[in-house]
Amino acid sequence: MEIRFEEKAKKSRNIKQLAEQFFKEISTLESKLGLPIIIFQDGVNSSYYSKCHILASIASKFIDLNAKINASDSESFRANRELMLKHTTYLKMKADASLGREFNDIIVEYNVEYEIDKPLKVWGGQHRAHAISEAINSGIDRYHGFKVYFSLNKNQRTEVALISNTNMAVSDDTFDRMLEETTFGYTLRKWCQKVGFLGQGEDFPDVGARSEKISVKLARSFIVNYYLGLDKGKTIKNEELDKNIYEPYVAESGVTIDQQYDRIMHEEGEKILNEKGLLEAGKKFLTLHRAQYEKVKINPKKIKNLKSYRNKALIVSVLCGWSYIAGLLQNNKRRLRNHYKIPKTTSKIPDPLNAEEMSHFKHDSDPPTYRGLGTRQTSKDIQRIAQVFLAKSLTDNCAFDKRFLLKAVSTVVGLTTLKKGYT
Amino acid sequence: MLNYRDYLSYSEKYIQLAEDELADKLKFLIPSILLSWVAIESFTNNIMDDFASLPADLFELHERSLLLEKKVEFIKHGSDMGKFKLEQTEYKKVEEKILFLIAKFGNLSKPYKGETLWQKFEELRDIRNKILHPRRNMDLELTIDKAYKYLETSKNVIQFVSENVWNKKISF
Repeated sequence: MEIRFEEKAKKSRNIKQLAEQFFKEISTLESKLGLPIIIFQDGVNSSYYSKCHILASIASKFIDLNAKINASDSESFRANRELMLKHTTYLKMKADASLGREFNDIIVEYNVEYEIDKPLKVWGGQHRAHAISEAINSGIDRYHGFKVYFSLNKNQRTEVALISNTNMAVSDDTFDRMLEETTFGYTLRKWCQKVGFLGQGEDFPDVGARSEKISVKLARSFIVNYYLGLDKGKTIKNEELDKNIYEPYVAESGVTIDQQYDRIMHEEGEKILNEKGLLEAGKKFLTLHRAQYEKVKINPKKIKNLKSYRNKALIVSVLCGWSYIAGLLQNNKRRLRNHYKIPKTTSKIPDPLNAEEMSHFKHDSDPPTYRGLGTRQTSKDIQRIAQVFLAKSLTDNCAFDKRFLLKAVSTVVGLTTLKKGYT
Repeated sequence: MLNYRDYLSYSEKYIQLAEDELADKLKFLIPSILLSWVAIESFTNNIMDDFASLPADLFELHERSLLLEKKVEFIKHGSDMGKFKLEQTEYKKVEEKILFLIAKFGNLSKPYKGETLWQKFEELRDIRNKILHPRRNMDLELTIDKAYKYLETSKNVIQFVSENVWNKKISF
C-alpha cells in the first residue's frame, strides 16, 4: 500500500505509521483496488486526514458514536449531541440508506486510546453513520465516503467536531459543552456537581431547552453574574444600593467562549470550586429552583404544571438577575440572608416565583406584545428581574404578589427615566 | 389591574355601541368620553407612581408632594418640630402632573399650552367636567364624531407624555 503526503502536507513519520495501521486494520475500497492513499493537512489547525471509502458492514463494526474530547481521561463524557432517531430527517436518511443511497463525508477520527474495538470515533455525520449501520439489516451494504483524521490533539478535535456540524441543527449547548471541556477542563462541571446542579457522573445537557437541567450557558452565566455583582458591590455603599439600575449579563453561547466568562476563569480557574460565597449562592439558588419546581408540580389545581413555570428559576433572565444580586449583596449580610430566603407562598401565590403572575405582567411602557416578566433574555427584562430580587432583599417576609412586582419594575423604569434614555 | 390601553379600548367599544344604537346614543357616548379621560389619568398616575417608588432623596420635597399627592406641612410640635413633612392627602390635577412630568423629563424649549394638542386636551377636560358636574341648563351636544375626536385626543396626549418622558413612542 502506497501512502503519500499531499504537497501542502508536512510529512510526518508518526502520521504515516498511524495511517498504515488504519488501512491495515480496516479494509477500504482504496486498499482493495491498490490505489495510492493521500494524507492531507488542514491549513487552519494542521490536523492530518485521509479520504477513503468503507463498506457499511465493515464500518459499522468499528464505529464509535460516543466520541470524547479528552481521549485519555475517564472523566470526559460523550461530546456529541444525542441521536434523534425519531426525527423526520433521520427517518428519511435511514429510508434512503436502506434503498442503497451512498453517503459521503462521514467525519471520523482513528483513535485507539479508548474503546479500542471501535477506533472510528465519529465527529460528523453520526446520524448517517447510524443509518448505514441500520441499512445492513435490510441487506444493503455499500461503500460510503469517510474523512479519517489521525492523531488529533484536544483543540484540533474540538474544532473538527465544530466544523463538521456547522451545517446541522446542532445546539449551541452542545458546542458550549465541547468548548468548555477543551478550554477549561472539568471545573465548571465539578462546580455544578458540588453545588448539586448536576449529579455525580452527570454531564451538562446537549440541548438545554429540552432538558430540565442547568446548561453550560446557564452555569457560566451564574458564575459571571456572581462575580460582576461582587465587583459592583465593592464600589457601592449599602445606602446607595437601591438607587442604581443593575445590568446582569448573559454569557454568550456557541462556537466561541464568552469573553467575561473567559476572563473570570482565567482569573479564578479552579478556585471557584472552593469559593465559599459562590458555592453558597449556588446552593441557595438550587434550593429556590427545587422549591419552585416542587410547588408547581404539586399544585396542579392552582397553577398549570408547565415546564416554563416549574423551571422559572432556570430562565436565563431569572438566573442572571438572581446570581448578580447574590454577588452584589455579599457585603450586606442582612440583605443577603433575605435574598436567600425562599419567597413566601400563600393561598393566592402557589409558587415562590409566582410564575403565572410574572408571565402576565406588563408595565405601561411595554408594547402590547410584551410576554411578561422573566421570560426573555433582553437587557430590560434582566434589569427588572435584578430589581425584583434586590427589592425582595429589603425584607425577610416577601411574597411575589402583583403589587410587589409592579413596584420593583416601577423602580427600574423610574430610575432609567431619571437617568434618561429609556427605550 | 386595568391600564390605559384597556380604558381606550372600552371607550372605543362604547362608541361602536353608540353607532349601533338608533334611539339614545348618549347613554354610550357619555361613558366613552369619561373612559377617554380615565385613560390619560391612568397613564399619568402610573408614571407618577414609577417615580414615587424611588428612594425619597432623589426628589425635592415639593416634587414628592406632587408625586405622592400629599400636602407639604410645616411641623410645629414634637420631635420633627421646625421641619417640613408630607402629611395629608391632597389630590393634584392631571394637568399639573403632566406639566411637572414634561418640565422634569421633557426637552421642550418653548411653552406648549397654546398648541393644538393642549387646546384639544382642555376641550376634553371641559366636556369631562360638564359630564361629572351636570346642570339643568346645560346641553351636552355629544356626537359620535366628537367621541372619536376625544378618543384620538386621549391617545395623542398619552403619546405626547410618553415621548417626552420615556423618549419613546408607544403602541396602542
